[in-house]
Amino acid sequence: MDERLKVFKIVVVLTLLILALRAGQLQLFMGDYFYELSEGNRLSERPISAPRGKVMDKKGNILVSNKEAYDLYLLPNEVSPEISVEDLLQELASLTGLDYGILQTNYDNQERSSSAVLLRRNISREMMVIIKENKDALPGVYIESSSMRDYVYGELGAHFLGYVGEISLSELREFNESGYNYRGGDIVGKIGLEMEYEQFLRGHDGIEQIEVNSRGQKVKTLSIKPPVPGNDLVLNINLELQQYFEDILLEEFYRLRDIAADDPELFPPTGAAGIVMNPNSGEILAIVSVPKFDPNKFVSGLSYEEYAALNNDPLKPLFNRPIMSQVNPGSVFKLVTGTAAVENLGVRADTVFYDRNGKYTIGEWEYRNWLSWGEGEIDFIRSFARSNNVVFYQLGHELYKLDRGDKMAWTARQYGFGSLSGIDLPGEKAGLVPDNEWKMRTQGEIWYPGDAVHLAIGQKITVTPLQLVNFISVIANGGTLYRPHLADKIIDANGEVVLDIKPEIIRKVPFKKSTFEILRKGMIAAANEPYGTASRQLRDLSVKVAGKTGTAQTGIAGANHGWFAGFAPADDPEIALVVFLEEGNSSSYTLPIAARVIEKYFSMQVDESGE
Amino acid sequence: MLWNRKLFKNINWYIPIVTILLIAIGILAISSAAELNKESYTGIRLIKKQLISVVLGTIFIIIIQLFDYRIFQHYASVIYIGTIGVLAIIFIIGTTAKGTTGWISLGSFNFQPSELAKVTMILVLAEVIDRNREELNYLTGFLKPFIYVLIPTLLIILQNDLGTSLVLIVIFIGMLFVGGGNIRFLVLIFGGGFSLVVLLIASHLLFNTPLIFFKKYQLDRLIVFINPGIDPTGIGYNLIQSKIALGSGRIYGKGLFAGTQNQLRFLPEKHTDFIFSVIGEEFGFIGVLVVIILYLILLWQIINVAREAKDNYGRLVATGIAAMFFFHVLENIGMTMGLMPITGLPLPFISYGGSSMVTSLIAIGLVINVNIRRKKIVF
Repeated sequence: MDERLKVFKIVVVLTLLILALRAGQLQLFMGDYFYELSEGNRLSERPISAPRGKVMDKKGNILVSNKEAYDLYLLPNEVSPEISVEDLLQELASLTGLDYGILQTNYDNQERSSSAVLLRRNISREMMVIIKENKDALPGVYIESSSMRDYVYGELGAHFLGYVGEISLSELREFNESGYNYRGGDIVGKIGLEMEYEQFLRGHDGIEQIEVNSRGQKVKTLSIKPPVPGNDLVLNINLELQQYFEDILLEEFYRLRDIAADDPELFPPTGAAGIVMNPNSGEILAIVSVPKFDPNKFVSGLSYEEYAALNNDPLKPLFNRPIMSQVNPGSVFKLVTGTAAVENLGVRADTVFYDRNGKYTIGEWEYRNWLSWGEGEIDFIRSFARSNNVVFYQLGHELYKLDRGDKMAWTARQYGFGSLSGIDLPGEKAGLVPDNEWKMRTQGEIWYPGDAVHLAIGQKITVTPLQLVNFISVIANGGTLYRPHLADKIIDANGEVVLDIKPEIIRKVPFKKSTFEILRKGMIAAANEPYGTASRQLRDLSVKVAGKTGTAQTGIAGANHGWFAGFAPADDPEIALVVFLEEGNSSSYTLPIAARVIEKYFSMQVDESGE
Repeated sequence: MLWNRKLFKNINWYIPIVTILLIAIGILAISSAAELNKESYTGIRLIKKQLISVVLGTIFIIIIQLFDYRIFQHYASVIYIGTIGVLAIIFIIGTTAKGTTGWISLGSFNFQPSELAKVTMILVLAEVIDRNREELNYLTGFLKPFIYVLIPTLLIILQNDLGTSLVLIVIFIGMLFVGGGNIRFLVLIFGGGFSLVVLLIASHLLFNTPLIFFKKYQLDRLIVFINPGIDPTGIGYNLIQSKIALGSGRIYGKGLFAGTQNQLRFLPEKHTDFIFSVIGEEFGFIGVLVVIILYLILLWQIINVAREAKDNYGRLVATGIAAMFFFHVLENIGMTMGLMPITGLPLPFISYGGSSMVTSLIAIGLVINVNIRRKKIVF
């Protein structure tokens, strides 16, 4: 049987001999050929650009796409040795009218290798024709058709869609350190969803590797690495609702500014925001920030003056208000105070309070209601509907006596205030929930009863519109705090789902079902009972609404933030929404907007089921 | 007593020394492939992980020496059931990497059970073939080990790891051949299987029938192998880059860290599948010859261990391990040169990869075990 082991040995020796001979063939006989290829003397790479993924709304309407563009490259390997690159760029500049300095800078800034150098992105069609006609005078200059980001609806959704731009040095370093393969000149998402989902949206450029002769002409294609298009992003956004909300918020914003211009008593609003979300999942159906900007301008290249104009505009059009504005919620916050009161003080729906003269006093300090007279006996539900400050001053004071108000801050934090909601957008702000510990740390003073009664009506604390609507959703769905999300799923070029984004629960808030029942009753009364603060505009809608208004003082008399937060239908909520007018005088201006958005949403539903 | 100091007097020193040399070359090549010269965090991490695997493998080698290898023969059925169980459980808890499903995540380490299955199947097959050695000339004696090897092979194919399933088949053929199997049956099963695969592919290409056992990319690799000129979609990219890397190393190589194909990242999978191309580029034909000669010595000595083994079981275990290393070397080096189709089989002791390193060292441990127990111990 040793014979067979010998046969095995012979097989091993022969096989390894073949491998060695093949290595000899490649390395000794063909070595010089491969060496030249590897040195790049005879090898050139031409990029094949890959389109970035599209962004669409839930129904597949395309919001962000790509349009054809031309990029100008120089392939150093294909420039014949007799010509200097400087001369070539001079020639190119004089033919096309492009700035020589910029071309030279772009050329110098890019890493020298056998690969192509991007001289200029998005050149015009005319320029392309000129270059092609003068091909012989410009060896190594090469035009590659590529794609340019196209925000189909212009300003629509600009704040959440974001925009793209050329990768910066710091981004390049950061991305490559985290293992992604980027090159100078690559296009990346700068803000918004473009940034958040960069790694999904980006396409992977292909490369055509060609063998060139000593004059830089193509001999043959060695290999093609095909471009891989980016994945598409499908949002929870409803285009029709988004468009409608943006239109009316913008319209009201400018109308209110016009009115204020004629009336010295009124302040012009300086911005506005609105969000509609599904309270049962955290899906964002519409999210609006006013005023707006056009992301297409960023893509085609903004001049310094244009950028400065946008950046220095006092109305801050680039500021994404729904997630970045950190302001007092005003009376909407009474729902949080109410929660703490029910949970800790044993307050019930039918608990009766007494408002003698529209004032609440602690020692020598006086805290006023928004009415200058007393409302007399008032039960807990009605105090929400009337937004009676005296009742909530008292509750705030009682809660303070328990544990210096820590319970109230704790309750607010349970609802997600003071921390990021985790929405899939960069740049979100957390707001601030103040308490004794915070005040000691920052001001070296304890949390006073006066702080507590102010907090009880939504002063002192700052929130974002997103946090507020997410909080209202918790009341609407009976206790679940979801992570809000814009994206529904990510699909690849073949329509296969790459990532399915499911509702994600941040926490079940630790409050009783009956507590939410009371809050809902208060909100229903506010929007439906004749005495409710929001009922005039909301009680006659086709669906029953629950809601709460808020007017937050800003320190400048009259320039108050106006809020409305609510949900509908009141008995089986499908949407939660928030409307925010920055320095918009009063909450009452938010109500017609809320009413129209709610009507729009439910009329769309009817249209669809009617088909 | 299972262990005795005197056992070491019998050791064939070629085996551990060649193994250490190969690992050292591997560490050097991985350092370059992972661009350690560029202060790369990844590079340091890869080297660390590779060294941890070497230490782990060495511990296994030592543990294995504490037992007489015949204990594996005794427990062959347990080993077999365990192997099948682990391969099957992957379908439930496994994760996917590079198209292959067969990974089990153990904290920060991922382990590929199909790697270990190669060794455990050698231990099992040796027992099955040994038990049936009188009948190997007949069809029944032949079919038994065949059925044993068929089940894990199919399980591994289902995890899209065609390369490893091929290794199992080569191990089977090698062990059966040395164990005294009927050559006609061997030719029959080898030829039959080959014809079946050809038939499947032909019918897919001609009549568009579904591919069984194959994925599209595996077929693409085969097409590129047969005809590298067909290159419209870049499926031959890897092969072209690998050949440029190897060839451009010429006689003496470009020097450590100086391989442009490697350092400029033209070469794909360079620290794992295509590590040999890095060696060829940076150490040239000389380096390639050194590696090939080291493998030749290793395989030669393992076959010697088989020849001198105390019993038929030990002889078969050593043979199986030789066959395993042989096929890995042939396939991996062959593919970098365009002599074999591209699969993901690592180069033993050299490619980066913990599962492969640990498994290869366990195999060396088994060979040493057979080697040092080849004679009766004289007290």
